[in-house]
Amino acid sequence: MLFPKPLAGIIIVLALVLTQGCVVTRGTIGEPLQEEAISAIKKGTTTMAEVVSLIGAPDRIVKGNDREIFHYYYYDGKSPAMLLLLLNFIRMDIKSDNLYVFFNRNGIAEEVVYGKRTGRTQFRLWPFGD
Amino acid sequence: MTDVAVRFPSIRLIVGTLCILLLCAGCTVRRAVLNDVVTTEQVNFIRVGETTLVELADHIGAPDEVTESDFGFVALYYWSDTKSAGVDFGAIPRLFLPYAPTMTLNKTGVTPEQFQVVFDPQWTVRAYGFSRRTTDEPVVWFWPF
Repeated sequence: MLFPKPLAGIIIVLALVLTQGCVVTRGTIGEPLQEEAISAIKKGTTTMAEVVSLIGAPDRIVKGNDREIFHYYYYDGKSPAMLLLLLNFIRMDIKSDNLYVFFNRNGIAEEVVYGKRTGRTQFRLWPFGD
Repeated sequence: MTDVAVRFPSIRLIVGTLCILLLCAGCTVRRAVLNDVVTTEQVNFIRVGETTLVELADHIGAPDEVTESDFGFVALYYWSDTKSAGVDFGAIPRLFLPYAPTMTLNKTGVTPEQFQVVFDPQWTVRAYGFSRRTTDEPVVWFWPF
């Protein structure tokens, strides 16, 4: 036996007491962007159809100057909360990743702009401070 | 006498703790943060007519939105820091009474902010600026009036 019975009971009760009132929530929008797929896009050669087969259909298409920009995004939110009988703390931290692929008039990728913030999303409960 | 004297520090501790709990009773503090703040120091490197979108993305990351306007393409960076606090005066009576009327004061401050960069057709910065900047509000401020 790993634990004697009274000790196991005490550990379970302690764990329940320490975590009572705790709420942990996670929410995402979209799918995480795969960096291997992004690095496979070659400026001046990769076509629009190849970008779609690599990453999928864009979440948004921006048009202007007879050109198109594919915009892919991914949101990640983490929200811990502590709901006690008399005092409640709730915090939510949301960050986004964004990928833009700029195409020229011939539908060839001419620029790729990618920013990743979701790696810094944290489960932070304390609502004070920065 | 000696008993009371010995117990006095612990009684004081208990009373102090109860007072703090009483002050915090019914309090709810919420905070929601979207993305990282873009500061004026971070965008000091931008030179109108020289800096490109790629250079901008290298420094402060990819924008949250790119849209077309009458003046050219605009890159938008969004962030917000929403603070909300409330106090429910019915929280303590509800522990003892079968019914306690709800009396809650709550204040929420949503502060969406933007950094906007306008580009010319060669994707060079034409203009940039921040949206209306708000002053820092305290996290706990439930007085709604």
